[in-house]
Amino acid sequence: MAYDKPLPNPDENTQPFFDGLKEHKLLLQYFPSADHYQYPYSDRCYKDWSTDWEWRESAGNGEVYTWVRMHQLYHPSWKAEIPYTLAVVQLDEGPRMHTNLVNVGPDDVHVGMRVKVAFDDITDEFTLPKFEPI
Amino acid sequence: MSDPIRGQTAICGLGITEMGKVYGHDASWFAGEAIKLAMEDAGLQKDDLDGLLVNPGITGMMGTGIGIPLQNYLGLRNLRLLNHMNSYGATASAMVQYAAMAVHHGMANYVACVFSDAPLQQGGSAGAAYGGAGRRGPSGMASLMPAFGFYGANTSYALAARRYMERYGITNNDLGRVSVTQRRYAVDNPHATMRQPLTLEDYHNSRWIVDPFHLLDCCLVSNGAVCTIVTTADRARDLPSSPAYIWGMGQGHPGNLPHAEVETGTTSGAVIAGETAFKMAGVGPDDVDICEFYDCYTYTVLRTIEDYGLAKPGEAIGLYPEDPADPEAELPLINTGGGQLSSYYMWGMTPVSEGVIQARGSGGDRQIAKHDIVLCSGNGGTLDTHGTLILSPNAN
Repeated sequence: MAYDKPLPNPDENTQPFFDGLKEHKLLLQYFPSADHYQYPYSDRCYKDWSTDWEWRESAGNGEVYTWVRMHQLYHPSWKAEIPYTLAVVQLDEGPRMHTNLVNVGPDDVHVGMRVKVAFDDITDEFTLPKFEPI
Repeated sequence: MSDPIRGQTAICGLGITEMGKVYGHDASWFAGEAIKLAMEDAGLQKDDLDGLLVNPGITGMMGTGIGIPLQNYLGLRNLRLLNHMNSYGATASAMVQYAAMAVHHGMANYVACVFSDAPLQQGGSAGAAYGGAGRRGPSGMASLMPAFGFYGANTSYALAARRYMERYGITNNDLGRVSVTQRRYAVDNPHATMRQPLTLEDYHNSRWIVDPFHLLDCCLVSNGAVCTIVTTADRARDLPSSPAYIWGMGQGHPGNLPHAEVETGTTSGAVIAGETAFKMAGVGPDDVDICEFYDCYTYTVLRTIEDYGLAKPGEAIGLYPEDPADPEAELPLINTGGGQLSSYYMWGMTPVSEGVIQARGSGGDRQIAKHDIVLCSGNGGTLDTHGTLILSPNAN
């Protein structure tokens, strides 16, 4: 069956991030002057307001900051998945990402659980950075 | 040492429209009704009104909310103060604050602060009004949210609640104790939408929205409007209505940065806002008689209690009885009208309106006997913004 869930919609600024995902690389913005990794995308470092930055690849490791089980159907394409596990992952580089947890049952998820990125090639065009237990 | 503005301003009028699934009117109509009711309550005439602050609610984001055109809709031609404000759920208390400062310094005499919203459509669900369904999809990294299946404020707050619950060992039954407590108050509130008593069993049997939240952890969605009229204490004393004097005002806006250096979801702006407001009022947490706290979710109430210093972190639940449905159970004096969970969801005007009612002693069957210091909170975003008002029936 064709993938029918909402797809990412890259814009000019974030296209390199989505291209990276396709190559199974998780790219973060790195701002050298504040030695700061930032996510999601911004054209300015919120620490020192610098606008100089570069993409750097994340090691893809972190821990579960928090998580929930979604039961409410907001978009028909999720019907078969409900309930599904949503999480915020604290990356070791600092930023937190909203994501899905995979390869783990709801009874085994807890705050602080170590996880690593698990790339999911949802279509030929798009890959999502999901996370799984280490 | 309190601030010289303590007790120098007051809320002299309150207007609350019919609330809930009230169809056939837009947000401007509700706003007009609330302002009319508030002016009548204050004993004022239309021409007395020289200030208008508006907060449009979710319909403001949908393009059908109230704004500056409300002035012409109501034919107000002598305004000395006018603005459209939005810090989400913190706006109601913030409007009252800016109005109080303005009247104190002579920029206006009587300022109407109005919140109005009409997101509910006949045949549509409450969730549809707030879930983002039908809105244009986001682009860039924000497009990952629907791609992962994140939708709506319920999810953001459920994420915050989970972290809080796991840290402090708070259970769903604990959240249920908050929900059932507030429903008991709503039973005696004629403005409330949900007045059927609840049990903890009802709570547990209510469907999951996004675990850890059941349906009965989540606020209502309401059509309606609330207006408060703010003036100086001197003017308020000359009016037929009994004033709720403003003793303390504060704001605190920690924002919500997704980074390891910032703890989000377990601390609200009440920490900063409360300190400012308590200092202005010359009182502390121990002096508070009644709390009216922003309760978009059960969890938010517990977090707010702790952030104002009314309980230690993780211990707010200790203020609630094990079984609040037990008629013998002593309820905490928190959200005494049923709050957003059970009465009506007018963003920050829900706690402000009940705070005014209690401070004036006009709560009828639900009036709390000792109501000298009433602490009201507003909260917006996902604990990003916060406003505090401390109200009293006494000028000093």
